[in-house]
Amino acid sequence: MRDTTPDGLSRDAAPRVERALRATRLTKRYGDVVAVDGLTFSLVPGTITGLLGPNGAGKTTTLRLVLGLAAPTSGTAAVFGRPYRLLEEPSRRVGALLESDDFDPGRSGRNHLLALTLAAGVDIARVEEVLALVELTDAADRPVGTYSLGMRQRLGLAAALLGDPELLILDEPANGLDPAGVHWLRAFLRAFAQAGRTVLICSHVLAEVAQTVDSILILSRGRLVAERHMEDLPDARTLEALYLSATTDEAA
Amino acid sequence: MIAQLRSELHKQRSTRTSLLLMAWMVGLVVLVVALHVLSFGATDLSRQSNQMKILGLGTAIGALFAALFGALSITAEFRTGTIRPTLLVTPRRTRVIAAKVGASMLAGVGVGVLAEALTAGGEAVGLAARGVEVELTGGDYAQLVAGGAAAAAFFAAIGVGVGAAVRNQVASVVGLCVWLLLVEPLLLGDVPAVGKYAPGASAGAVAGAIQSQIADSLVVPGLGLALLAAYAALVALAGSLLINRRDID
Repeated sequence: MRDTTPDGLSRDAAPRVERALRATRLTKRYGDVVAVDGLTFSLVPGTITGLLGPNGAGKTTTLRLVLGLAAPTSGTAAVFGRPYRLLEEPSRRVGALLESDDFDPGRSGRNHLLALTLAAGVDIARVEEVLALVELTDAADRPVGTYSLGMRQRLGLAAALLGDPELLILDEPANGLDPAGVHWLRAFLRAFAQAGRTVLICSHVLAEVAQTVDSILILSRGRLVAERHMEDLPDARTLEALYLSATTDEAA
Repeated sequence: MIAQLRSELHKQRSTRTSLLLMAWMVGLVVLVVALHVLSFGATDLSRQSNQMKILGLGTAIGALFAALFGALSITAEFRTGTIRPTLLVTPRRTRVIAAKVGASMLAGVGVGVLAEALTAGGEAVGLAARGVEVELTGGDYAQLVAGGAAAAAFFAAIGVGVGAAVRNQVASVVGLCVWLLLVEPLLLGDVPAVGKYAPGASAGAVAGAIQSQIADSLVVPGLGLALLAAYAALVALAGSLLINRRDID
């Protein structure tokens, strides 16, 4: 578990705070295209961080690298000190909602969660808890193919919460939620972070992010182009100005 | 590992895919057996070797559907995207493949028994209707069902490996059908010295017959079983290696 130098000595002399997530010079190339370019950032426990950027900036690729779905060309991404693929019982540490609508339309919502719960080794009573939390209990036996976008989004959130994780990674979580749902999600994430846990939200809806996060990272063409605390951005308009200047500079 | 196996068994039971596959298989067995029993002359039908050849249809259909069962267990996850949540919960992909192999082999046993029993039963009914006596022994039937179950189990594992390597559902299904229904019969017909060592022919050796091939053109059952186990292990291992090396989109 401890970092060791090549000669096997531990580096306890300089202990580091364990970050929920730490990316170090993370890079992903597809042929000549650099999707993620030397990205370095870390998440402080107890905070909500927004990962912003236009489509194609590398947000989703970054999440796939962090979650072990894709392998970096170079650099590292560590979750609680180790690569995601080496985590024991990852669902108890990390919950993720991806934007890709990952359900079998013929399987019911409850069975989708049950299959994941069985694999995660989590108590199956947890399925009913998360269904109630996202208010899907009544629709749980219907095939997911009959769900609205908002319902699928809530089912994805329920799946992310199955293992009661310490880190939540959400790609466009407000997508398809009605205003009441967005309000509920914001309060939920706020309480989640106040309990000392960590949230990373990917989005390009600036106004929504501005109301939810503690700090932002802005990606453009795979690079980290700005990093700010929300205290330094008094209103949504300042955020928008920063976003536009950060993401359009290089395109000119 | 047990957790992943339970999850895979739950996935099998929680969509209609398994049931639909079985319905297709039952329909196909009934059709194929009926065609053969009705089209052969009574003298031909009364020969033990021809009665065996009809039983061999069950082996081929059982092996094919078991392989499809295995392949769909993984290609359906790529098609619907559930592969992502599956790998987020179990990022050690070899465990996922091993669980799919285990769950599909269990299902394969059922598929094999069902295909063989249905073929044998259908043939017996057809022969009785045409007034032809059954020339097969209890030993023939025992080998058919037990061997067909074992062969189908290994073909299910082959299906998982093919699905993990190919990922695309249509390509996997077409590939397995072409191999079993087209390439293997050609191999056995044109180059039997090589063809008898192929996976389908090995399944026939274990069960006693496959399609139009019976024991005298196949390897001994023990060798057939060993070959099938080796093919299943190789293909599943290849699928596992590839899925570990590749990115998930």
